[in-house]
Formats: sequence, structure tokens, C-alpha cells
Amino acid sequence: MKFSYNWLQEFFNRNLPSPKNLAELLTDHFAEVEEIKKEGKDFSFEIDVRPNRAGDCFSHFGIAREIAAITKVKINEVKTSPARQKSKINENKESKAIDFICVEIKDKHTCQRYTARAIADVKINVSPKWIQEKLKVCGLRPINNIVDIANYVMLETGQPLHAFDLDKLEGRRIIVRFGKSGEKVTTLDGEHYNLDEDILVIADEKKPIGIAGIKGEKFSGISKSTKVIVLEAANFKQKIIRRGSQKLRLKTDASLRFEHGIDPNLTETAINRAVFLIQEIAGGRAAKGLIDYYPKKVLPKRIKLNLDYVESLLGVKISLKKIINILKKLQFQCAEAGPRHIMVGVPTFRLDINLPEDLIEEIGRIYDYNKIPAVFPVTALMPAKRNLDIFWENIAKNVLKEAGFTEVYNYSFIGENDSKIFSFKKKALIEIENPISSEQRYLRPSLIPNLLKNVRNNAKNFGEIEIFELGKVFRKNSNSKEKKQLSGVITGDNFYQAKGIVNLLSQKLGISNIWYNEYKPTPEESKMALWHQKKAAKIKINSKEIGFLGEISSKVLADFKISSKMVVFDIDFEKLANLATEEKEYRPISKFPAAVRDLAILVPREVRIKEVLNKIETAGGSLVRDIDLFDIYEGEELPEGKKNLAFHIIYQAEDRTLAATEIDKIQNKIIQALEKEIEWEVRK
Amino acid sequence: MAVEINLKNLKIQAKEEIEKASDLKELDEIFNKYLGKKGELTLILKSLAQLPKAKRARIGSQANELKSFIQAKTIEKKSSFVKTTEDKEEWLDVTAPGKKLSIGHLHPLTLAARNVGEIFESMGFSVVEGPEIENEWYNFDALNIPKDHPARDQWDTFWLRQNEIKNEKLKIKNGRLLLRTHTSPVQVRYMEKNQPPLRIIVPGNVFRHEATDVSHEFQLYQVEGLMSGKEISVSNFKAVIGEFLQRFFRKEVKIRLRPDFFPFTEPSFDVSISCLVCSGKGCRVCKGTGWVEVAGAGMVHPNVFKNVGLNLKDWRGWAFGFGLDRLAMMKYKINDIRLFRSGDLRFLNQF
Repeated sequence: MKFSYNWLQEFFNRNLPSPKNLAELLTDHFAEVEEIKKEGKDFSFEIDVRPNRAGDCFSHFGIAREIAAITKVKINEVKTSPARQKSKINENKESKAIDFICVEIKDKHTCQRYTARAIADVKINVSPKWIQEKLKVCGLRPINNIVDIANYVMLETGQPLHAFDLDKLEGRRIIVRFGKSGEKVTTLDGEHYNLDEDILVIADEKKPIGIAGIKGEKFSGISKSTKVIVLEAANFKQKIIRRGSQKLRLKTDASLRFEHGIDPNLTETAINRAVFLIQEIAGGRAAKGLIDYYPKKVLPKRIKLNLDYVESLLGVKISLKKIINILKKLQFQCAEAGPRHIMVGVPTFRLDINLPEDLIEEIGRIYDYNKIPAVFPVTALMPAKRNLDIFWENIAKNVLKEAGFTEVYNYSFIGENDSKIFSFKKKALIEIENPISSEQRYLRPSLIPNLLKNVRNNAKNFGEIEIFELGKVFRKNSNSKEKKQLSGVITGDNFYQAKGIVNLLSQKLGISNIWYNEYKPTPEESKMALWHQKKAAKIKINSKEIGFLGEISSKVLADFKISSKMVVFDIDFEKLANLATEEKEYRPISKFPAAVRDLAILVPREVRIKEVLNKIETAGGSLVRDIDLFDIYEGEELPEGKKNLAFHIIYQAEDRTLAATEIDKIQNKIIQALEKEIEWEVRK
Repeated sequence: MAVEINLKNLKIQAKEEIEKASDLKELDEIFNKYLGKKGELTLILKSLAQLPKAKRARIGSQANELKSFIQAKTIEKKSSFVKTTEDKEEWLDVTAPGKKLSIGHLHPLTLAARNVGEIFESMGFSVVEGPEIENEWYNFDALNIPKDHPARDQWDTFWLRQNEIKNEKLKIKNGRLLLRTHTSPVQVRYMEKNQPPLRIIVPGNVFRHEATDVSHEFQLYQVEGLMSGKEISVSNFKAVIGEFLQRFFRKEVKIRLRPDFFPFTEPSFDVSISCLVCSGKGCRVCKGTGWVEVAGAGMVHPNVFKNVGLNLKDWRGWAFGFGLDRLAMMKYKINDIRLFRSGDLRFLNQF
């Protein structure tokens, strides 16, 4: 919010610090001054008044009080005193305000206070230069003397005001009520709004003449021909104004102040100040008396403050004298209340102060947080708890990194288009109600779409790409809506490399029984398959499915405009981490030598390696320590439809050196078992 | 006796001959002369068996010692030959590039988050996590940010469409679903289940409905911290956060607190550090102020304690939150926040 330096100076008899120094002081003790701009002879301050202080500091009054508390410059209290404002008005004893206008509040919960005054015979004109200049420094556009004065007083006191042309009010009545559906209003700037039962309005007997606390209506407003004005300074309920403003999508200087809450006692000060200025500038005779609907007067709160608590919460000793001095400068009342306690009276304009902690903040910030020493806490020695989720995450990331994969972080969103390409079920997707764009319409149900985009975007700079991401995915149908997933991509025809990576990962997580099951899509699935139907597998541990491994279907790649093949692994990381273990057990190295025999076999192409391995294992028994497939060959020299598999079979016993004859016997048993199968032929 | 003298002479002779040898072939011949099948020393060793017991032991040990001596000398001489031939005939260009190993890279936010975790764990803070989909209660109300209050406008929120939730009661208590705008809800979730005193940090994604530019993002990585206990003060907070920042940036870092407002802390303040680029002299990064804001913090608001069912009289605490993206930008001198989630390998490969 913008403030005028010269205007702030008017509240003080002595000179304020220079604009730059003042800005620094305010920033250190109150709120950040984001910008100082020279405006003619004045300076405009852009101050980031925080929402808790909007009630009193969306005003020059409020900022001046802060300056007085922070600097040693004394505020001129006469300027801000309510009584002083009233004594300045020149009232016409012959006419009474209540004869001009009658105010009715339909629902007392909507309005804490409504004050009004009437002024006759005003001359509408442009406002004097000094008002115009101040409005401009604060970013407001001058309109005419009455409207400008209303705005001026709002900027000065924080109380929004509105002026009506009395002659345009049917029945000379002001009624505060909710709108009715079908009612319409045209605001001062010529915009049209449809009203309803949620919008609080100011109405005369027939029609709305303003949106309460938000904006005035065009035809009842001040014009060149206005003779008698009715001035309103009211205090509307915060929530009602906020909801109305949100519903109409209309934010104004007035609604901003009302939605943050204002001191109801302020209306009187403000309206009297405005009437005084109107008389000075636009002439006119103020009718006698203030119309004042104020059923429940707000009185100052009292808070008992324990000085030991102040000291222990801030961690610094501040003398009683200093504390009282700070509070008094902020216009709090202080009285000692027993040993180490004071009773603090809170001025009604400080809506934000309700608890002792709020007072402690006041003391701390004016005292200066930077004067508080840094001291480590004294506490019981409680070791940090180990977070296993993060522990396994770190291990998994390290393994993948060391295997050549680079970690990416993607946005947690996917777009409409991605969802179509991947044929995600709409029912399972979590949709954002207010997405930034259609590119971020859904929460990602899978890490894969964004990984594919990463590949596409990097393709122009990199040939081979190996990337992974570990992050949350979101689906509506699962028990918990979000879970951690680990997915990686490797470009090229690299299924076995990817499989090797998954094996390595499981090994490093202490999981030994990982296996792969051919993916057999249902007819429905195959129509929208993400995976290449012949080159994909389910990753299983024990009997649990934990993910997928496979080539991405060429259709999906084409839709993503990716030319190279790629293999993806997609793992439910929570399941994986649950199975992970740190336990390791050393198996003694056998003292007896191992012997290696090779075995080559010709089998039909469609025979699975796993089948051959199983047969070797079963026939070989416990003395076969390991079987290592070192070659798969399919070529012209081989009979049609056959492939050649070559194995090293490693024999070893725990308790003796195996004799050649013993090994030959087992090897023959294996060969016989293999050759039982039709069309399997061990090459000798 | 004669054998012993012989051994002494043999030693002197062998040493001389080995040292004089001019090539490998000659050295081999000398070695064989002493230790070959019919070498002089070999013969002596073989003859030991015929000596009387006492003498056998003495001479035996001397002969074996000489054997080791000749072997060592020969190896030593041999290596000097090898060295000279290597130096003459083989060389490599050490300036040619080393073989590129295929190793990947961890994301800078992972690296930074690990660093943060490590520092806080050393001070007894446990690392905990929470859900990214939150409801209004945990994200706002429980943190003393009431409905219909403009304070909520500080957090531009992504709301989730949720036609499917039929349970009206649940809807009213917990409010609508949203993407958490900060990691602070985890304070509440954790305190509901764990009694003070406690020390935690909470890393994770947060979401803000904001336009993006070089310093703004709609998805950020935040770290929350919370310490509660009986005697916990602003002064303690300054010590802990100062220690953290110092260690994180591995530099002398000055810190400054200024008043701020967060509904869930009272008093509230923001934390700035002396600019790392200009050391506080003022530059473009710190907009000439010499300071850069890094975190928001404060003493836990009594209403937050109340909302998790704790007795206000017994407990107090402080909490802070910072954007890890921003800290990582300062640490690694990254000039555009959007790079983190760009997936651009030209960026990621540098970490």
C-alpha cells in the first residue's frame, strides 16, 4: 500500500528521519518498505502492511503511530484525537440530521456501526491541489471535492466513507439489507453487477444505492447538481464484505479495509474529519447531530502480562521500564498488577492484539529482535529418529546414479493431452479445480508422461538418455490418494540393460527373490497399451507385483513425437521399500575348487531361457553352484527357427574337491534332462 | 669353519657380480650360478644334511639368509633394468582425456535436501514427511488461518475437484481438498501423534497458484522446522537457524530477524542472511540491501497448540519454513528457479 512521506510528516512537529532512514526503521520494526519513489516534492512509500495490521495501518494515522513508537519523534496527538475532530465542525443548529435522513439496519449481524451526517448547500467542484497531490502520491485518481475528501479521510484514518446525493434517495431512507436475486446495480465506474442474497447492499425505499462496503452506485452518487449530501461512515462485518467481494469479483479500497476488519470506534472520528474538510473546501452547512447506529460499543481489552513469560519467550531480559515505555508509545495503557505482572489496556484500533503473545511480539519488534542473543536450547539428549523411507530413497537414488542414471524432478501435473495419449481413466484422475492451464489439469497418476517429455526435450542435445524420478503419483481409486513411485527411462533397444538395473536395485535393497512375469494384456488393455505388447514384463518380488518393465509402445512414442525406442521401469516404491532389508549374512568361501563345464544347446526360438535354466537346476542338484548364460545366438547358420544358448555351469561342493568323474555324471544327467524335450538338442 | 668363510666370501662375491650385471641375461646367469640347480649355494644347502646337528643349524640359517639376500638383490637389480627399458620404449600421453565413466547425477534439490537433513539430524531433529494432498483443516484452520479471513490470501491455492466425497460430515470438519501450500500442516499432524518435547524438520513439495518467472514457481520444495519444549525461546531459534545456515553455506553468515506476520506463529519474523554474492556490500542479487530473505519463522501460536490438544501452559516452541529451491539457488548460484523442474540434462549434469 502506498503512503505519502509528507503526509506522515504532518503528524509530527519535529522533522522525521530522511525517507531512506525512515524506510529502514519501518522495515526493521514494523513492515517492509518495498519501494520509495520521488513524486514531485513528496515521496511515496510502498509498504507491505501485513494482514494482521491492516485494521489500523491501512492508514496514515496508523503508520504515524508506528513511527512515533520506533523513532524518538513525538506524535502530535491533537491531530488524531476524535474529540478534536468533532470540535472543529460548525453545526447548523436549525437543522437536524435526523430530519434529513432515516437509517435502518435490517440485520444487526451485518453491521456493527452505522454513522451518517447530512450537509446542505455544498458546492461540487474540483478539490484543492494539496488534496489532489496527496491522493495521487497514494495512487488514487482525483474526481471531485466531495469524493476526494472521502478518499482522503480514508487514507488518513483507514475508515472508508461514502457520500450520497440526498435528493436521489427515495423516501429519504437508508436501509442496510441483503440484495435480492434479480436486483441489479450500476456502480460509479459504470459497471453492472447482479445482486443476490449474499451481497449486502445499501438501499433506499425502492432500490439499491450501493454495494455495502464495496462500491457506490452511479445514480445516487455525487454529481455537479448535488445540493445536499449524506455522508456514510459505517462498520460492516468482515466476512460478509469479503464473501460479497469475492462473489462479485470486485475488490476496492473500501472492501480491502472492511474485509480485514476496522475499529468501529473509528467511524465517528472519520466522519467528523470529513465534514470539517467539506465545510472548509466545499462550503455547506452541516446538520446538527450524528446519526449513529451503534448497538454494542466496543471497549478496550485488557490483557495481563507476565514479565517472566516475556523474558523466557524472547530469551532476553528487558527492563520493566523499557517494556512499559514500548507499550505506551504504541498507545497501550499499562498498570502494574502484582509482582512481575502488568495489566495492559489495548486500544480498540488494535484488533490484532488478543493474547499475551501478541503483546510480546510488540515488545520484541520495537525492542529489536536483532538485540536478542543467540543461545542454544538446553534440552534432553534425544537422538533423531531414523526415517527409513528416506533412508531407502537415498539408497535407491544412489544406486541409479551410480548405474548412470540422472535424477529429474518434474511437476506433479499432467495435461489433458497426456491423459488422452496414455488413455488414463478419467475416474481415477484427480482433477485440479483451478488449473493454471490445461497442461496442468490433473495430478499425475504416473511419472512416465513427464519422463517421456524429458527425453523428447533433451533429444536434441543428448544421444543416449538415462533418467529417473522418485516422486508422488496420485490416483483417486487407491486407498491413499498418493504414493511414492520410482520410474526410469533408458533410450534405445535396451530391455536387458534396464532389467539389469532393476536387478541391481533390488540387490542393493537386500531383496533377492525378484522375478519377471510376461505381461499379457487383456484385449481392452491392449487397445490403449502404454507398453509394447511383446516386450514388457511385470516385476515381481515373492508373489507381489511391484511394477512394470518394458518398451514403450510405438503408438505412444509417436504421439509424443519421440523417434527412438525406449525402455521404462515403473516401480511402486513404497512396496519396494517395505521389502527392503539391511540384513546381510556372509557365506563362507568354499575351500574346495570350483569346476566349470560349458554347455551349448539348440532350442526353438520361443523357448524361454527360464525354462532351460530351471531344467538345468533341477537336474543338476545342489552341486551346481551357478549357471551363467554367456551367449544367445540366432543366425543364418542355425536351422530355421532355432537359437543357440551357451552356458557356463559351475560345480562346487562345500566339503570336498569334486572329482572329474562325479562332475561328468551330473553334466550327463543335465544333458539327458534337456534332451528329453522335443527339438532341444545339446551340441556336443 | 671352511663352509662359513665360504659363505661370507660368497656373499661379497655375489653382491659384486649382481651389481655389475649389465643386462637381464647376465643377471640370470649370475643367479643360476648361485641358486640354480647346481648353483654354489644350492649345493651348500643340499650338503647341510650331512653336517652334525649343532653345526647344521648355524650354517643352515646363514645359508638361508644368504639365499634371501641373493634373491632380493636380484629382484632389485631386475626392476632397475625393467624401469630403464620401460622409460625408453613405452610412454603415454597423460594429457589425453581419461575414459568417461557412465555415471549419473543426483538432482540439486536432492543434494541440498540431504545436506539440510544431515545438519539438522546432527542437532537431534528427526526428518518426517506428510501428504501433498491436504484438506482445509490441516492446511489452514488448524494453523489459525480461519475461513473467510484475508490472511488466507497469502497462500494462492490449488483446489481439487471432489465430486465423489459423499460424507458430508467429513467435508464440513476437514473442508475441501487442496494441494498443500506449505509444509506447516505436518506440524499439526505430527504434534497430534507425538508428545513434546520434539524436534522435527519436514521436507517436501508445496504448491502455489502463481505465475512463474525466474524467481517464482507454482511447485516448490519447502523445508519446515519445529522445536517444542518447556523453555524454548526466540534466542534458541536464532542459535539453531544460525548454525544451520552457517553449515549449509559453509561460510560466515550474518543473520537478521525482522517482524513479519504468520497466523500460526506469534511473535513472527522473517530471517535474512547477509548476501553471499557481495558479502553484504550491496549488489544486484540483494537489490543493493546487502541482505537476502531466506525463511519465515516464529514462536508457535497458542491456537496451534490448542488445535492439537496440548496444554498451553506447559509448552512452547518455534517453527520456521524456507524454500529449498531458493537456498539451493544461492548455494549453487542458479539464476532461474524454473531450471529445477525443467528436466534439462545440460543443467542436471552439472551436479
